[in-house]
Amino acid sequence: MIVRRVRYEIVSRAIGPILVSTERWRRRLRDRKGGRAKAPFGPPLESTRKLKELTTLHYLTGRFADGAVPVAWVTSGFPVEVLRTLGFHTVYPENHGAICSVKRMVPVLSGAVEREGYSRDLCGYARADLGSVATGNTPVGRLPKPDLLCCCTNICQTVLYWYRALAVHFRVPLVVIDTPFVYGEARPHLLAYIADQLRELAEIAERVAGRKVDRATLAGTMRLAREGTSLWDECLRAGRARPSPWTGFDSFFHLAPIVAMRGTRECNAYYRMLRDELNDRVARGVGGIADERVRLLWDNLPIWFHLRDLSTVLARNGFNVVCATYTNAWAEAGAMLDPADPEGSSARAYLHVLLNRDLPHKLSVMKRLCREYGAAGAIFHSDRSCKPYSIGQIDLMGRLAAEEGVRGLLLEADHADPRAWSEAQAYNRLHAFMELFR
Amino acid sequence: MISARKIQGRKTVAVLPVHYPRELFTAMDIRTVELWGPPGPPRGPDAGRIQTYACAIVRNALAFLASGGADAVDAVLFPHTCDSIQGLATLAPDFGGWEKPALRYLHPKGEDRPAARAFVRAELVHLADRLAELTGSPLEIPRLAAAIGLHAKIDRLRGALLSRRAFLGMGDPALYRLLRRGEFLGPEDHLAELADAARGLGEERMQRGIPLMVTGYVPEPMTLFDSLEAAGAFIAADDYAAVGRRVPAAPPAVGGDPLDTLAAKAFAMPPCPTRGGDQDARMEYLASLYRHSGAAGLIVHVQKFCEPELFDFPAIRRRFARIGAPLLYLEGELENSLSGQVITRLEAFVEMVDAGRMSP
Repeated sequence: MIVRRVRYEIVSRAIGPILVSTERWRRRLRDRKGGRAKAPFGPPLESTRKLKELTTLHYLTGRFADGAVPVAWVTSGFPVEVLRTLGFHTVYPENHGAICSVKRMVPVLSGAVEREGYSRDLCGYARADLGSVATGNTPVGRLPKPDLLCCCTNICQTVLYWYRALAVHFRVPLVVIDTPFVYGEARPHLLAYIADQLRELAEIAERVAGRKVDRATLAGTMRLAREGTSLWDECLRAGRARPSPWTGFDSFFHLAPIVAMRGTRECNAYYRMLRDELNDRVARGVGGIADERVRLLWDNLPIWFHLRDLSTVLARNGFNVVCATYTNAWAEAGAMLDPADPEGSSARAYLHVLLNRDLPHKLSVMKRLCREYGAAGAIFHSDRSCKPYSIGQIDLMGRLAAEEGVRGLLLEADHADPRAWSEAQAYNRLHAFMELFR
Repeated sequence: MISARKIQGRKTVAVLPVHYPRELFTAMDIRTVELWGPPGPPRGPDAGRIQTYACAIVRNALAFLASGGADAVDAVLFPHTCDSIQGLATLAPDFGGWEKPALRYLHPKGEDRPAARAFVRAELVHLADRLAELTGSPLEIPRLAAAIGLHAKIDRLRGALLSRRAFLGMGDPALYRLLRRGEFLGPEDHLAELADAARGLGEERMQRGIPLMVTGYVPEPMTLFDSLEAAGAFIAADDYAAVGRRVPAAPPAVGGDPLDTLAAKAFAMPPCPTRGGDQDARMEYLASLYRHSGAAGLIVHVQKFCEPELFDFPAIRRRFARIGAPLLYLEGELENSLSGQVITRLEAFVEMVDAGRMSP
């Protein structure tokens, strides 16, 4: 334990940062030899380098985490502040699933568990993660084994079924924060239910970590989480400028720290840097794409494995995704966190996330985003892998057109698995959609 | 049928799958009619408002509600079963398809724990308040106690018919029709029919075919049982969400606060993935059900795109492979009848199980 802890600390504080900075120099040298073609995009964001370093360090440290510090595998909408306070290293299988998808590894990983009987109709993140667990195959080197599994149903109930399977595999405790769906505003007994569960979570996490939650540290973590959320919101709001200083596709990648490192100083420092860079670009009139003519809203998760091609096709035609319900979801609810009332405010914040609320709320968010960001069109990614996000999209598209004049396109794909992607069909529909704006 | 209830002056509520507190409705003199789809092609164009990769239960239900199929009822209850039904619970009432009151029952996910029990109790009170708005009369606790007693009798009889299946001289098609009549009959009428059937339970084994166990969501199409019967098999153990999983494994003690009893019942049911309990516990339950029923093979019969069921299938397959149980996986989409291919697969499975029993 002590040896592992020392190794973990050395990697996270010394070796990791050295490796990352060495990589930074190598990249600079490579870029000097010949920069990549920029058109149809604006100049790349400097912060992207820092993002890569942050992510690399997070996963590098993670390789040495188990046996050194308590490790929790956590869903993206989980109230993570208690875990941070207790010194858990957190792993986000959804974030890892996105990396697997970008690296186009999902068919192989999923294939491994499809042979065990998992259906291809299930969530692509879940299949990628379970496949990675089954084969030990991962693009990030190694994922530490969990001491605790933490699952919150505020993004979907799929995570519950997925984590039940992980609990059987790893034979470690599973904590479920069950967040009943909110129609309108949450009734008091829903809030009481979540607050009760948060207290249960604290007890279990304390047992696993072997220490007690320090209330002052918890308040500090809550403050950091709220501040991080607010900084992320400021970054997104920079996209209101014309031209938008970045694209929605950029923002999908830059979402990683607020999902996986929420409540840490590193996360907030990163978003301060990104915000400043974006605001500087706004001041200088630098856009995320070279010639921004039509601004769009994106609904649902990204198509991770095809983001680059899709963004290129849109940018070549002067289309920029300037806002997204997905990235906005992490900017909204965190503002409700209150360090003075950790359980009560967490209950409210984590219950009121976009995916846990009814369709009229989602429509009102979409309308607001379209107005504030000047989006004239919307791409609805009809995601075979994500039923809670996708059911209702057909009506939402109709309402947004009828009530706001925002024209929509339904684009069927999968957020993780390229086998559900029909390129010719999708681009045919996309080009027809773009013609509407000529 | 719904119109007949209305003539009797009773309010009627259509209920989507799967778990809900029927006792509460009985106590408030409200009839329930369950809406499992309905099966067959969608009745009306509104199914197109939900993508085809969502299950047929929700697509058909939206089409049915929007085309006026349930206009005779006074409200619809959407239990908090899965992401898709949850989505329907806001889509139909909020964006068109259902204009009358929409009720929701948010049952908790995960293990039995104090927070969950308190939540169920609060949800029951909330639902009772909504039903009182519908009927104009508040819930009377003594009537709830009586309803709990009535449904306990129904549960006992359903449990007896299922667990002592081999000793009942009634074929599966008739038995399942009887059991599923509980989805729309008044509880007193259903109880009378069950009691009548239970009189046929003897000490002598009546079923001579190949005993099989079935697990899945809903037994549709019902011609499945005709095909199995024709192939020489019968269902010795049932774990359908619509049937066996709604009979309490260990009924809670009656007495005390009826709302507490009803809240306790939610955790006394057999493990169901839609409730999200421990997967090991469910596998243990299924293996035990299989062993005690003397079944010789397992049919896993699931709805396409049904995440709760699909996520458990690999664990079921692993567990039953360890037992050495033959397993047949059937995936359907609420068809009206089985295809010839599926019937052939069923026949082949029964033959294979039979051959396995004969071999030394």
